[in-house]
Amino acid sequence: MCAFCPFNISHSLLHMLHAHAHTHTHTLHMHHSHSLSVKAHFRLAETEKKKEQAYFDRSDTSSIDTATQTTTCPAQERARNCCIFSQKNLGNFFKDLTEAQESPSSHFSKPWTEETNDSSPAFLSLSLAPSMAVWDLSVTVEDLGSDAPPVTLSVASDLHVGGVILKLVEKTQIKRDWSDHALWWEQKQRWLLRTAWTLEKYGIHADARLVFMPQHKPLKLCLPNGITLKLRACFSNPVFQTVMGICRMLNIRHPEELSLLRPIEQKKKKKDKDSAEEIYDLTEVPLSSVSRPCLYNGMPAHFADSTQMEAIYKMLSVTQPPPAPEVIAKQYRPASVVDKAHIHGRWLDSSRCLMQQGIQENDRVWLRFKFYAFYDIEPKYDVVRLTQLYEQARWAILLEDIDCTEEEMMLFGALQYHISKVSQSEPQMLSSSAAMDDLESALQSLEVKMEGETSTASEMLEYMTAPELNDYLKIFRPKRLTLKGYKQYWFKFQDTSISYFKSKEESIGEPIQQINLKGCEVAPDVNVTAQKFLIRLLIPAPEGMNEVYLRCENEQQYAQWMAACRLGSKGKTLADSSFQSEIQSIRSFLAMQKTSSSSHGNVPANDESINTHSLVSPRYHKKYKTKQLTPRILDAYQNVAQLSLTDALMRFLQIWQALPDFGLSYVVVRFKGSRKDEVMGIAPNRLIRIDLGVGDVVKTWRYNNMKQWNVNWDIRQVAIEFEGNVNIAFGCVTADCKIVHEFIGGYIFMSTRSREKSDTLNEELFHKLTGGHEAL
Amino acid sequence: MFQCSQNVLWINSLSLWWSCGCTDIVFMLLQTHCLVYSRLQSLGQETVPPASLPSTDTEVNFPIGFGDLNANLHELEDNDLDALMADLVADLNATEEKLAAEIEGLKVPSPPPSDLPPPPKGLSIQPASSLASPTSPARGTSSNVSTPASSTASPLPPPPPQSSKPSKEEIEAQMKADKIKLALEKLKEAKVKKLVVKVLLNDGSSKTLMVDERQNVREVLENLFEKTHCDCNVDWSLCETNPELQLERTFEDHENLVDPLLAWTRDSENKILFQERGEKNEVFKNPQNFYLWKKDKRALKEIKEKDKELLIQENFCGTSIIVPDLEAVLYLKEDGKKSWKQRLFQLRASGIYYVPKGKTKSSRDLVCFVQFDNLNVYYGKDFKSKYKAPTDFCFVLKHPQIQKESQYIKYLCCDDAWTMNLWVTGIRIAKYGVSLYENYKTAEKSAVSSVWTNRSTPSSSNPSTPSPTIKAKSPSQANGHAPKPQPGPVSQDFDNVPLPPPPPPMADMLPPPPPDPVLPPLPPPLAAKSSPKPATPQRHLPSNFPPPPPAMENLPPPPPPPPINDASEAPPDFLPPPPPPPAAGYGSLPPPVSSLPPPPPPASFGGMDLSLPPPPPDPGFLPPPPPRPMFTGAGGAPPPPPPPPPPLQPAAPRPAAVRPTGSVKKMPPAPPKRTTPAQHGGGGDGGGDFMSELMLAMNKKRGNN
Repeated sequence: MCAFCPFNISHSLLHMLHAHAHTHTHTLHMHHSHSLSVKAHFRLAETEKKKEQAYFDRSDTSSIDTATQTTTCPAQERARNCCIFSQKNLGNFFKDLTEAQESPSSHFSKPWTEETNDSSPAFLSLSLAPSMAVWDLSVTVEDLGSDAPPVTLSVASDLHVGGVILKLVEKTQIKRDWSDHALWWEQKQRWLLRTAWTLEKYGIHADARLVFMPQHKPLKLCLPNGITLKLRACFSNPVFQTVMGICRMLNIRHPEELSLLRPIEQKKKKKDKDSAEEIYDLTEVPLSSVSRPCLYNGMPAHFADSTQMEAIYKMLSVTQPPPAPEVIAKQYRPASVVDKAHIHGRWLDSSRCLMQQGIQENDRVWLRFKFYAFYDIEPKYDVVRLTQLYEQARWAILLEDIDCTEEEMMLFGALQYHISKVSQSEPQMLSSSAAMDDLESALQSLEVKMEGETSTASEMLEYMTAPELNDYLKIFRPKRLTLKGYKQYWFKFQDTSISYFKSKEESIGEPIQQINLKGCEVAPDVNVTAQKFLIRLLIPAPEGMNEVYLRCENEQQYAQWMAACRLGSKGKTLADSSFQSEIQSIRSFLAMQKTSSSSHGNVPANDESINTHSLVSPRYHKKYKTKQLTPRILDAYQNVAQLSLTDALMRFLQIWQALPDFGLSYVVVRFKGSRKDEVMGIAPNRLIRIDLGVGDVVKTWRYNNMKQWNVNWDIRQVAIEFEGNVNIAFGCVTADCKIVHEFIGGYIFMSTRSREKSDTLNEELFHKLTGGHEAL
Repeated sequence: MFQCSQNVLWINSLSLWWSCGCTDIVFMLLQTHCLVYSRLQSLGQETVPPASLPSTDTEVNFPIGFGDLNANLHELEDNDLDALMADLVADLNATEEKLAAEIEGLKVPSPPPSDLPPPPKGLSIQPASSLASPTSPARGTSSNVSTPASSTASPLPPPPPQSSKPSKEEIEAQMKADKIKLALEKLKEAKVKKLVVKVLLNDGSSKTLMVDERQNVREVLENLFEKTHCDCNVDWSLCETNPELQLERTFEDHENLVDPLLAWTRDSENKILFQERGEKNEVFKNPQNFYLWKKDKRALKEIKEKDKELLIQENFCGTSIIVPDLEAVLYLKEDGKKSWKQRLFQLRASGIYYVPKGKTKSSRDLVCFVQFDNLNVYYGKDFKSKYKAPTDFCFVLKHPQIQKESQYIKYLCCDDAWTMNLWVTGIRIAKYGVSLYENYKTAEKSAVSSVWTNRSTPSSSNPSTPSPTIKAKSPSQANGHAPKPQPGPVSQDFDNVPLPPPPPPMADMLPPPPPDPVLPPLPPPLAAKSSPKPATPQRHLPSNFPPPPPAMENLPPPPPPPPINDASEAPPDFLPPPPPPPAAGYGSLPPPVSSLPPPPPPASFGGMDLSLPPPPPDPGFLPPPPPRPMFTGAGGAPPPPPPPPPPLQPAAPRPAAVRPTGSVKKMPPAPPKRTTPAQHGGGGDGGGDFMSELMLAMNKKRGNN
């Protein structure tokens, strides 16, 4: 009926406005053909809230917010909140309405809008439209329980959704905050979020199955670090906004880089069996619309509420200890590019809501960084973001989601080791694990600093005279034809050189030889169980490299001399503040070797005994025993041992990003005119065509050469035109073409971000670039 | 302690250096500060003169640019001696301070200096020390040694007075407060290694400059820009060549220059070239050639500017530096064999890998060929004939310290030059990362600004270059004005030749006979321990002057200038140096200037060169002393009057100390005798000798050139 008589709506609305304007009660009465009155209450004060059915306003917006929202919110939002205006907003309101109409907007013709804009009393007094036929609409109210029968309402087609809700709420007799609830139309898989739209306009008839339920529901969210959170996520807005909300709650900046991924079933089954998994509950966190949560103690206020919440925040912002090797081995690992492509087929559609994509309450989804264009990482503000990014990168390495060489794997392993070690001893964590060692070393370095600053002459002199090491060691220089074994000498380490003498007594004179270690290579050759502690030095000389072995008697001696050699090779003396920590790390590596050789696997990951198999992918579990692996990782470790936690995280990410395959999301496609499957790799700056058979890159196209891309939604084909008259078209096999479309548009969107625009996220542009026809 | 690359010299073995005559680089590790002190002081004197001479020299065009310390230093650098002097002085100061600090902790610096000097070298030493100390304070307060030197002509006079006495007191007062800190700083500074480096230019000429270990290549390049008046574009580079291995490599701008040079062997024939190397920054001019190398070349040529920028943004401005993903079949020279084997190599950020036989190209199967931590990449020259390489487009990876053939050197050969550049550049990106881009941006800025500076103040740079010429002219005028724009070192050299004459006059004036006497003086300070002669000579200022003459060939120039200036102003003040050398320098200097030209120099020279041995050397060394005067002059232009007092002053170290600023730069009197230095070895004497010898050698070279 409304379709023929738009005036109905207009009248009622005008009436509402009129009332509003004249009574200042903030309560609007809408008289409809059935003399249904809807009280739309705008909560201006808390007191009014309890007696009113406040489904128009949302708990997370204050009335003032709502009022201003009319000018700032997307049209859709405004339409839903259509009861909110002051007189001066009247015009806006109608504009909203017309916008909200979109496809059926023809009914809200221009002249009509003009009329309403007149808003004269005479207009208000117009008689209401004739009454319409009444029919029964059954609505399931989720809050009544799944067994409860649907509530039946008598409605007419010109009743707007807001009216339906009001009726419904009145009928349930339940007093509560309904503000987050909305109607979900099951058959059509859509939300009826525009409360000003009539049933007619939505096309709802008696056979419609409607569910009245909250828009925010609990969701099990698996984070990159493997932790599962339970939190309330928005099921009614496009996933893009849902992710924004989640990131807001978790304090992750730049939510546009993340998205939600359907979990892999196999894994889920396994996990269910384990069932030991702990789920951290964040469902009590109030929903907030503030774009940037205020920080309290360095964390969003809602995390500072209780110690439990604080613990959760710690979990988000501190890296997880290395996983046990068995855990790594159990995880699903994509074995081929095609497997990886299948994973990328699981991304949720950013422009549709969770409900529409079959995600139910309490379902599990993964939160992952989807677009590998990490913008403006600022360790100060990005604690959680950086941590989760690191975790995602770490798992990508451990599960061989991205390929790397053995050397790179060792470096990644060393960095993981270092990060886990440092993150346990960072100042912020002192309360939990203040190992005395750490405290001591902290004090030491403090002392060194003070010395450097105060410095009386004598102190300074002392300071400038580097300490030395003196001891009996055995040396061996492998030379052609010499089978001589190790010979013992009195060794002295001073500055960056090692000198040795026949004996301690003769150490005043000229050394037998002096070896400057600067620029040399130092490698360990250690077998703890066999008590073999060798330091292998490769010392550069004009003629080449000279090989020298130093044999130490015991761990203690070895750790000291090894540390000294390491410093020396970098041109540092023993006065360097890192000497002690270097000794410490060498010892802890020795300890690792001990424990890992005695107990096979299953070593709890504490800082003193990390199973090095926890640091590398399963491939290397097979290739190397832990005792073979440890020295290799230690070797790589010496280059990163001095990094701070943040620097180490950044280094890890940098190396990850420098891998040739970094940032590639794969999709199996079939090019137009081709009969075989090929793989399209989608990178932040280019598309890569990969031959499935050989694995070779066949062709690369860069986005900056792209003139346009189109998706033919009917035949599910993506067509791209590049400069120079290059056209390609392909259909997608392992993923919906919407996913490919979103990747391309998303990366282009990412490249439009710039510092000047700073924090404001241009959501509209994102949807424009990634939306596709369904979004229109 | 000291090395000369190419013809590397260990400082102690000056003789070697001489013989080689080609030493391009002198490494001076001033570990034993004291020793160095004395030597330096003596040298400093010598050097100073050179500075002044240059200014005065015919090359009037060169306006002396004072600018900051560095700038000054740079200018000085032209004159090897000057640079040496400055450095030495600095060291001296530092040591003095250190000593002072040690001795008294907070007390006046001057005392310490005095104390120090005596112990080491006796009389001569004291003067030197005094000079040095003064200089040091000056530095601390104002700025640098270099300034004085450069400014010598005009500035010197005025400053000296102030600095000389009043400044002393003031300084002392301040010193009490800052002493310790200063001392510490100086100590640190004293530890700084310095090298005298000869850089070959495209036209076959060369520039010699002092480089300290804190300087990076960029700073050295800036120096050279000033000296050569080139267009300062981003392609200018310093390259190292290794003739033995037929390698060459462009230093990166952020690298320290001293470190790689220290790796040269003593007998190394390695050279440093100052050249335009387009490939250095090619990746920033045409990034597409490296990052889109797979595309066809025509497309690459047509790429738009904005796309280039985008490429640079993507690869150099992100969180991570992206290395071009190179993959190619290259020839690898097999260890110890003459054959070259083909392998499929890949470049990754973490190193170079190859694909083992029968394996796929997947990352996990790659075998690491090298990582870049301890390796540099070099271009190989003419490997086709040397190693029977398949082509001449070869590059090499080796530890920078390896200088001779070794199994640890990796030789790779590419099909064409394009591939070779691709790989060498890719390796540099992997090794140096964002530094390359920063270097490029800095170079660009410098290129732009240089346009201005060159236009506006071409002169400033000139001074440095002129210095050599200055020497020649020095006789006429002490101050550095001389430096004329003419950059041509050669011309300067010629100038030098003539100069000798001037020096003689100086010699005549002051010391008449002197060379010998002169030398002695200097030595004493430095090598107090070593040679008694020096000490005595020192007293005879005149004698000192004579030394300048010897210098004439090399040093002569410097000395003269100082004299002039000094004579007018400073000399007197400093003269006080009764500590023979300094004072003498001042007082005598002027005279020497005039007289120098005459005889002494030549004679001394010959003697010097031929026989470092005591006598001849002394004369030759004598020249060095002149430098001192210079310093003193600079420092105490005003002092001149006091000259007489100077002697007294010497007694009182403080005054001397005050001036030190002026003197700082110069002084390395001279190591009259090598022998002494050797004997003293550790002592300053040895150092002094070296310095003087070096200076002489340098002068000689110049003269030859």
